[in-house]
Amino acid sequence: MTCFSAKRQSTVYTDGRLRGSDFSRVAAHLRACDSCSVYFDQIAKVRSATGELSGAKCPTRLSLKLRVIASRERKAVEENNGSRFRAMWKQWRFRLDEILKPLTLPATGGLLSSFILFGILAFTIGTASRAVNYEVPVVYEEQPGVNLVPLQLGADAVVLTISTDNNGRIRDYAVRDGSDSFAGDPGKLQSSSIALPRFPSVLAVAHPVSGDISISFTPLELRQ
Amino acid sequence: MNPGKLSILAGTHEPISEEDARIVRGLRAGIEDAYEELIARYQQPVFSIVYRLLGNQNDASDVVQEVFLKVFRRIGSFRGQSSLRTWIYRIAVNEAHNHHRWFTRHCCREVGMESGPERPCSLESAPDPGRSPFERALDRENRTLIEEALGRINPDFRTAVVLRDIENLSYEEIGEILQLSLGTVKSRILRGREALRRELTQRLDPGFAEAFT
Repeated sequence: MTCFSAKRQSTVYTDGRLRGSDFSRVAAHLRACDSCSVYFDQIAKVRSATGELSGAKCPTRLSLKLRVIASRERKAVEENNGSRFRAMWKQWRFRLDEILKPLTLPATGGLLSSFILFGILAFTIGTASRAVNYEVPVVYEEQPGVNLVPLQLGADAVVLTISTDNNGRIRDYAVRDGSDSFAGDPGKLQSSSIALPRFPSVLAVAHPVSGDISISFTPLELRQ
Repeated sequence: MNPGKLSILAGTHEPISEEDARIVRGLRAGIEDAYEELIARYQQPVFSIVYRLLGNQNDASDVVQEVFLKVFRRIGSFRGQSSLRTWIYRIAVNEAHNHHRWFTRHCCREVGMESGPERPCSLESAPDPGRSPFERALDRENRTLIEEALGRINPDFRTAVVLRDIENLSYEEIGEILQLSLGTVKSRILRGREALRRELTQRLDPGFAEAFT
């Protein structure tokens, strides 16, 4: 056995874990080799001296601290009924609450402001949509060829008088000229869109005027 | 029978003992006696291991608190595949190493105001009444030398030596705690003792050298 091999066995030899032929070989080498014998002796003394270090006394305060820790953890176990998932959920909920806490006030203020602003603006949305929804009257007479007012223009001025109701609809009309006049036929108004206007866009920004409206048609004289 | 005490054991398997299984079940159920028993049983050995690994009483106290906190919180994940003692010691060794790494990384860069290197705090042990004052002084001196030498060797080797020579754990238990093979455990113990031998022979006064030569 070489010194290197013998020294590698010093741990188990010193600890008494070497048995049988291995022990005999090492023992024989130690009898023959003085340096290894000294080495093994020193290792045994180091082991013995290190072993005498045992007995580092635990401080009294540490015992109290450990009991405080135990009490706290035991209480946590009781609260969670021993459930790990409940304990983990509580931990994460606590962390989430701590993260969101600084954002609570500005978030609430922002939400409230949004509600108030939206509430104010909500009333104007319908009005704006009515104003934007502008219908251009394309067909103003459903029965083409039927004159609303049988009016014939001649050399004299003609005055057309229209009576409108509160909704701006023509309820009666009359035509007068120098020689003749006639009253209108309200029955003819039933089928006429211009007499019975339904223009919500116009009505959204204007008020119908009730009363009599007189329109005068005066022939023009052109001189050369 | 006191309903707070668990005496019926079921569902346990080797190598956990009946005592360990009872404590584990008590901890999981939040029984106060189980907590008290765990502290009473493991407080001293855990502190001893951690103190020997760190060499500082205050640091050891802090680490021991961390160890027990982890034990209480992780008891639910203890499967009984090793003994309770092995499991607790493993946590203690890991925490001590983590603390040592953190300390080395953050605090060693600072230059202290004290002159000279800081000696490890040597805790008092009960004096042997059969020894003379001279012999007790010699013992104290030797103990200080060995503690200083222990603090200077490689942390991995120091751990192995502490667990074997001071805590008297078997190679198999040390292997379980450190998650190492038997061969590696023996190798680390060997190299730790060799390193201690070198440290002591370099620093011993010739008058005391007789104790080690």
